[in-house]
Amino acid sequence: MHIRLHGISKRFGQVQAVDRVDFEARPGTVTALLGENGAGKSTLMKLLFGLHRPDAGYIELDGQTQLVDSPRTAIRFGIGMVFQQFSLIGSLTVRENLALVLPQGAWWIGRGARRLAAIDRHLAAVLPEIDPNARVADLSVGQVQSVELAKVLLLRARCVILDEPSAVLSPTEAQQLWRSIRQLAERGLSVVLITHKLADVRACADRVSVMRAGRLVGDVPAGDLDEAAVVRLMVGHAPDKVRTPLPRDPAARVRLWVKAIRAGSLNELSLQVHAGEIVGVAGVSGSGQTELAQALGGVLPVQAGEVILDGERLRAPRYSSPTSAKLAYIPEQPLLNAVAPDLSLSVNLALKRVAGLSFVPDRRQLERHASALIARFDVRPPDPRALAGWLSGGNLQKLVAARELSESPAVVVACYPTMGLDITAAAQVYESLFGLAREGSAVLWISEDLDDLMTHAHRIAVMLDGRVVRVLDAAETTLAELGSWMTGSGVRPCAKSA
Amino acid sequence: MSSVEIVLSGLLISALRSATPLLFALLGECLTQRAGRINLGVEGQMLVGAASGYGATAFTGSPWLGLLAGALAGALLSLVYALLTVPAAANPFASGLAVWMLAFGLSAYAGTGLVGLRIEGFEPLAWGLTPSIVLALALVPLIGLWLYRTRTGLRWRAVGESPETARAAGIRPWAVIVSAIAVGGLLSGLGGAALSVDYTRTWAEGMTAGRGLVAVGLVIVARWNPWLALPAALLFGGAEALSLRLQAADSAISAHLLHTLPYLTSLAVFAFTCLRLGARRGDGGAPAGLKAVFEH
Amino acid sequence: MDDGLGSAALREIGLSAAAFIALSALFFGLIGREPIAMLGAIAEASVGSGYALGESVLRATPILLCALATLTPARVGQMSVGAEGQLYFGALTGTGVVLAFPQAPSVVLMPALLAAGAAGGALWALLPALLRVAARVNETISTLLLNYVAALLVTWLVYGPWKNPHSQGWPATIDFPDAARLPTLWDSRVHAGLLLALALAVLLHGLFTRTRWGLVLDILRSNPRAGQQAGLSLARQIVLTMLIGGALAGLAGIAETSAVQGRLQADLSNGAGLSGFLVAWLARGNVLRAIALALLVGALLAAGDGLQMSAGVPSSATLVVQGLLFVAVLGVGGWRARAMASRRTGAVDV
Repeated sequence: MHIRLHGISKRFGQVQAVDRVDFEARPGTVTALLGENGAGKSTLMKLLFGLHRPDAGYIELDGQTQLVDSPRTAIRFGIGMVFQQFSLIGSLTVRENLALVLPQGAWWIGRGARRLAAIDRHLAAVLPEIDPNARVADLSVGQVQSVELAKVLLLRARCVILDEPSAVLSPTEAQQLWRSIRQLAERGLSVVLITHKLADVRACADRVSVMRAGRLVGDVPAGDLDEAAVVRLMVGHAPDKVRTPLPRDPAARVRLWVKAIRAGSLNELSLQVHAGEIVGVAGVSGSGQTELAQALGGVLPVQAGEVILDGERLRAPRYSSPTSAKLAYIPEQPLLNAVAPDLSLSVNLALKRVAGLSFVPDRRQLERHASALIARFDVRPPDPRALAGWLSGGNLQKLVAARELSESPAVVVACYPTMGLDITAAAQVYESLFGLAREGSAVLWISEDLDDLMTHAHRIAVMLDGRVVRVLDAAETTLAELGSWMTGSGVRPCAKSA
Repeated sequence: MSSVEIVLSGLLISALRSATPLLFALLGECLTQRAGRINLGVEGQMLVGAASGYGATAFTGSPWLGLLAGALAGALLSLVYALLTVPAAANPFASGLAVWMLAFGLSAYAGTGLVGLRIEGFEPLAWGLTPSIVLALALVPLIGLWLYRTRTGLRWRAVGESPETARAAGIRPWAVIVSAIAVGGLLSGLGGAALSVDYTRTWAEGMTAGRGLVAVGLVIVARWNPWLALPAALLFGGAEALSLRLQAADSAISAHLLHTLPYLTSLAVFAFTCLRLGARRGDGGAPAGLKAVFEH
Repeated sequence: MDDGLGSAALREIGLSAAAFIALSALFFGLIGREPIAMLGAIAEASVGSGYALGESVLRATPILLCALATLTPARVGQMSVGAEGQLYFGALTGTGVVLAFPQAPSVVLMPALLAAGAAGGALWALLPALLRVAARVNETISTLLLNYVAALLVTWLVYGPWKNPHSQGWPATIDFPDAARLPTLWDSRVHAGLLLALALAVLLHGLFTRTRWGLVLDILRSNPRAGQQAGLSLARQIVLTMLIGGALAGLAGIAETSAVQGRLQADLSNGAGLSGFLVAWLARGNVLRAIALALLVGALLAAGDGLQMSAGVPSSATLVVQGLLFVAVLGVGGWRARAMASRRTGAVDV
């Protein structure tokens, strides 16, 4: 299907999410819709899929102007969308999930239903290795994505939109995904790939459309791609160079020593981080990275083993002892885990000290302390009385950083600190983290972006099934090596974890 | 038949009789919660159902019309809850309580004219069963099969798990949710009418005495599965039947103390279920859309 | 928690009031009464005379305490509807003290029965609190079920072991000795329980808004996980706030028994528990607003008996009006919440 979007605009409250965009996707090609987080790419495609209605502009499908007013209509036209989340229902089986999206069907789907037989045939042809009776919640992330594609194909889609599909995949799974995408294009479908990763573009795109701040700022064939130019289009200026960390001092002492801890899914995990060192943690989702951060942060109780900081044993809860207070913990998804959204910035910045405040706390003193931190870490809006829930993602991270990092912590545990942030905000986060490393703190950095880890970390610890299976030197490892350790295919019989 | 058999067979029928109004409400709330909404107004819906059912039976002489009137009253009242929580975004717990409060007043008001009126209920069928019991028992497999083996049932379950996903699949979630609320109202109203028209054959202010609230709790015990609604309702009904028998047998134990038995039993089972659900890492069968409501 | 009185809040109050009046007028029209006349009659019966005012304040006192009993756990995110049961159980334990020591002098008996009432209410709140903390049992459902149990326990005692053999009408306990009766104020039926309620309300307001404890509650309510990181314990605060709330409702129960009825009898609460929940909801967590709203709702309900006499309308009509108030406030609030949410995300939720 040949898709053209003309002059599409959409506003949400104060934000102009999409601003007069002309977009085109041709049959038999893969068009990458590239942009930072918040650039408007998802919104644009959601408008095409009928989840929102545009404020201005129109949609042309195969030369005919059409009104796509709901996903039902979009599906009828042959547009299919594979989402990052909210796409399959975990507690239902694969077959039931597919039965759900069939536009018409007999009302009976119990044993012996004819429609189900058609689904089973389709699955056998497209996804022979997955049992139609399996519950989606029991499948791996890669399998779920394959089921998604199968679902979209079942509906005889002629256009497939994929929203950040490789975000949660291991390198091997990502390669499989790219192959499937190219196969779709070869069958004549028009494929739109929403992404913020150049790797996706390099691997399978025919054209690249770049969005920034709601506008389409570039549209080039992917063959002769000038990557630096494209990044400049995405960000609007030459990307900030994040200062690389100092090389590691081999004689530095161990500041954080995790000794065979057991907590949640963590299974006798051991790890060491030295002064001035940045240790990245990589792993497929569900390997226990979040639990590691939570255990160190004192939120997840440790059942066995020890955590030793500067030679002293760490006790939960975190603020109960001076030792514990020297560990800075930046949890993932700050709005969910690290701030009280209904309360002011000054209260949030004082969260660590609440237990020690006087019976009738001096609010003005809290505000003064907060103002100083807000200025130092450039949190916007710079009002200590503003509610934390009003802050954007980047400013939330800065708020948490201001609270945790302001007192020269010995150890920093950062869990997906740049997820969802645009390049500029991410750079600011990196600056504060790496600045502390330069001053001698030990930094443990959990991230999903392997390129970032390889560029900025000293060593990378790969986690799988709740333990560290390998620690690699960041400068010398490759994506393939990381990938194989992450999926367990690189484990050799006598390998030991560091 | 030995005396033990007599007592036991009588107990089962008594338990069924007592469980029937609750079973209707339980099935209704089960469907509502399956679509992702929790409606504490079931108690109120039962009350207006009881009042209208009783009144309709008294004025027309037909208990079947009474059941119908009760069902319609319950459905009407549930629309208040639907209006509060679907087009508007009011807190679902508070909305249910508001509906309950309103319905208590409405049923008390309408019921002032009903006190003292007598009705002829249903003609009893074989084995001490009445038509409402048979209807309730028939609804269990009907609803169970409908929920798990039909396409509309699948769509309702999908909406309860994730309205966003359902929407992306082309379903209109609000239509399903409103239908689920209305069906819940219909069935609770029916249950209330069964209570006043069939079980007690009287009307008194607030006569449902918390059965609707028990129903909301027992939906979780029944793991949102209509098939399990029958044993769950029998828990309450059995406790009530037992307490009535104990009261008759040994008048030393106060009727009021025994009357706490059904509530305590329901609470105990509810608490036990919550404990088991919490201990498991999985979802325990809860529609995912409800979990946010429960774990606030 | 909404502590502001900005223009948006005022607009919402105005809209809610308008919706409430419209719905009430509709109801009165449906039952064949002239709406304006009815509203006038309600106003007359609630605040139209010294006597009416006294009755309104009298009705409002347990409602205020039950509202506080609901507000306190709500500060940490708990939606308890158990004030009714806690009220009954407090009345039960307080009465127990009186029946055990009927000869004791007032200076000993009065504080003892109040303390027993508070303790009883707190005890009744402890069970759902522990169930929530230990087994994640939803507190709304557990407290609702326990309300019925507490009322039945009172009924049992009043019809059974504590029944006064000489009582003429409904079964009840013996009349409380004078030493056990809360003093009344100003020549009316309004009793010292009102002063106690007001004092406790002001105290709670100060605690919630000015102290470290209030801050702790705010943090845990806003985000329990963030609070956990700060070393705060949600479980401890749930139990504490439920105990305090239970004590307040228990006080309402024993005060009502001691001052108004003069003996323990069944159905003593008159719906104060649920009305208290409504007031707490309307007040959006603000204690001072709850005081005003408790008076409003108390006046509305007190008008019921007056209406019955003057207009021949059954008193349950005011119960309907109370329900309509709740529905109106929820409807307007919910509609605005929906409007704000869709403006932010652009997508209709459903």
